[in-house]
Amino acid sequence: MTTLRFDDIRKTFGTTVALEEFSLDVREGELVSLLGPSGCGKTTALRVAAGFETGDRGSVHLSGNEITRVPAHKRNMGMVFQSYSLFPNLSVAQNVEFGLRTRKVRTEERRRRTMAVLDLVQLASLADRYPHQLSGGQQQRVALARALAIEPAVLLLDEPLSALDAKVRTTLRDEIRRIQTEIGTTTLFVTHDQEEALTISDRIAVMSEGRIEQLGTPMQIYRQPSSGFVARFIGSLNEIPAISKGPGRIEVAGRDYAVDHTHPIGASLSLLIRPEDTRLDPTGFAGTVVNSHFQGAATRIVVRVDTIDSLVEVHGVGDDLTSLQPGARTAVDFERSRAVCEARSI
Amino acid sequence: MNRRLRSLLGIFGRRFVPTMVLIVSFLFFLAPLVTLARFSLQNVPTILLGWSTLFDKWSLSGLTRAFSDPNFWPSLSLTLRLTLGTVALTMLVVVPTAIWVHLRLPRLRSTIEFLTLLPYMIPAIAMVAGIVVVKPHVRWFLNSDLSLIPFYAVLALPFTYRSIDAGLRAIPLRVLVDASRSLGGGLASTIMKVLVPNLRAALISASFLTAAVVIGEFTIANTLLKETLPRFQATYVGREPQGGYGLNLLAILVTVALFVILNRLTRRKTTPRRPYLTHDSSFEEQPRATTLIGEGL
Repeated sequence: MTTLRFDDIRKTFGTTVALEEFSLDVREGELVSLLGPSGCGKTTALRVAAGFETGDRGSVHLSGNEITRVPAHKRNMGMVFQSYSLFPNLSVAQNVEFGLRTRKVRTEERRRRTMAVLDLVQLASLADRYPHQLSGGQQQRVALARALAIEPAVLLLDEPLSALDAKVRTTLRDEIRRIQTEIGTTTLFVTHDQEEALTISDRIAVMSEGRIEQLGTPMQIYRQPSSGFVARFIGSLNEIPAISKGPGRIEVAGRDYAVDHTHPIGASLSLLIRPEDTRLDPTGFAGTVVNSHFQGAATRIVVRVDTIDSLVEVHGVGDDLTSLQPGARTAVDFERSRAVCEARSI
Repeated sequence: MNRRLRSLLGIFGRRFVPTMVLIVSFLFFLAPLVTLARFSLQNVPTILLGWSTLFDKWSLSGLTRAFSDPNFWPSLSLTLRLTLGTVALTMLVVVPTAIWVHLRLPRLRSTIEFLTLLPYMIPAIAMVAGIVVVKPHVRWFLNSDLSLIPFYAVLALPFTYRSIDAGLRAIPLRVLVDASRSLGGGLASTIMKVLVPNLRAALISASFLTAAVVIGEFTIANTLLKETLPRFQATYVGREPQGGYGLNLLAILVTVALFVILNRLTRRKTTPRRPYLTHDSSFEEQPRATTLIGEGL
């Protein structure tokens, strides 16, 4: 059983704190994504797992055994990097074989495993090509095959799709998930792309300033964000000013609502609500459409509400949305059960 | 200005000027070589060398006389050994240092660059003065012919370090090292199997530059009384100017040949020496869908 555990890791670079109280359990066969903005420490966490960096404090455990001080080349972790990392002097097959050669695997077994993983990433026919003869997507698939060939205890993926164009990214993302599910390797995936994380992960750890803000399934992260940061980072968000009327109740533009919160009476709040949880409702807040975007499967409109000092975004399908043009009068309301309240900084 | 004239001027600017620059540059480098060749390989008195004698009495006799001098082959042998030793020392010291600086001490890169320039800025005669001061204390070392190797490695440093540094800047060093380590490569295997092959062009040019320095160095060898090829040439030119300059010409031609070889050696491979797919025919034919997906990404 292969599990990966970070236990209270702290890592600094000079005066910059890259990781603080970083603890995470990755279960066997699970794909966990580290998601966050640039500089939040997600790549550092991955490099600590790989053994390229050592934490100033804390420990890393692989299947219960501490590996904090084990050098990178003895950890048996396959890694795919953000930039193309194939060895330019070696052909595709030789790249894939590299890890097997360092492990002194016998020639026949090496050849069998090399072709098997190249088959898995559907590139066996390009075994004799050199990296400079491959497209970016093909290079990343070879890098994935190379990481898988050593049958790693844990697969570490450091933004492997970020250098690729949108179409290739989507295809390769699905392929990574298919292969990961097929072979069941415990995987840690670093990304700053929320859609990528939501699509590919069993669980997501949203990171900010070196700490994990929230750890949960994609659905939990999206539907029940634990903080304003998580809510804002994942997906679009409407922020509507509100006043606390005591725990469980708020007032928005003179209307009372029941929304789960514990803030004291009179506290200034922000009501955070997803555009898709906002809807057109004749009994809601009246306003004027300021923008309307037809996006194919859905339509996005932005409404300036008369009684609220903010713009409200509505996503949805249906003719009632698509027919609204800038300047049109409408009214909006929101799904209270999915709203999150946080204290508003004034 | 009419359109036709402008078009002619355009053609003149685009084609004629660059061609003329190339021709003039070529003649600039070729003319001294031709005169050197005529002086050393034509048995015609210098005063009579002109267009009318261009094809008269060409001969290798001057060179063969130089080759038959009893001091020529020992001096050539010593210079070749010094070249190999200096290249080896440079590779052993400068390559790991440059890699270390790039990976671990990137902030010190400009300082190291400056330090490696010092042998270029300080004349060799200053180093000779230093050697003279310490000579009585390290006579046991300086008695050896190969004691020139460290001095030559220092003299070549401005060229070798720059060449290797440029090579390291041209590859994604950190990613390659990390990739190798994640695949189980230790330090030695990462350097030998990943970095050295990808620094091939830089290492070859550093080696050739080192060779050029060793083949041309006279001051230190003369001070330490070592019978190197440049020292032999200097004394031989005094005795036999024709053969001596013939040797100089030969040295230049060998250097040009080395650079042509360098150019051939550093070309990028497009097919592996031992193709993988021909070893196992079962992988030669791929399903059509697989190939299309593979090509598409």
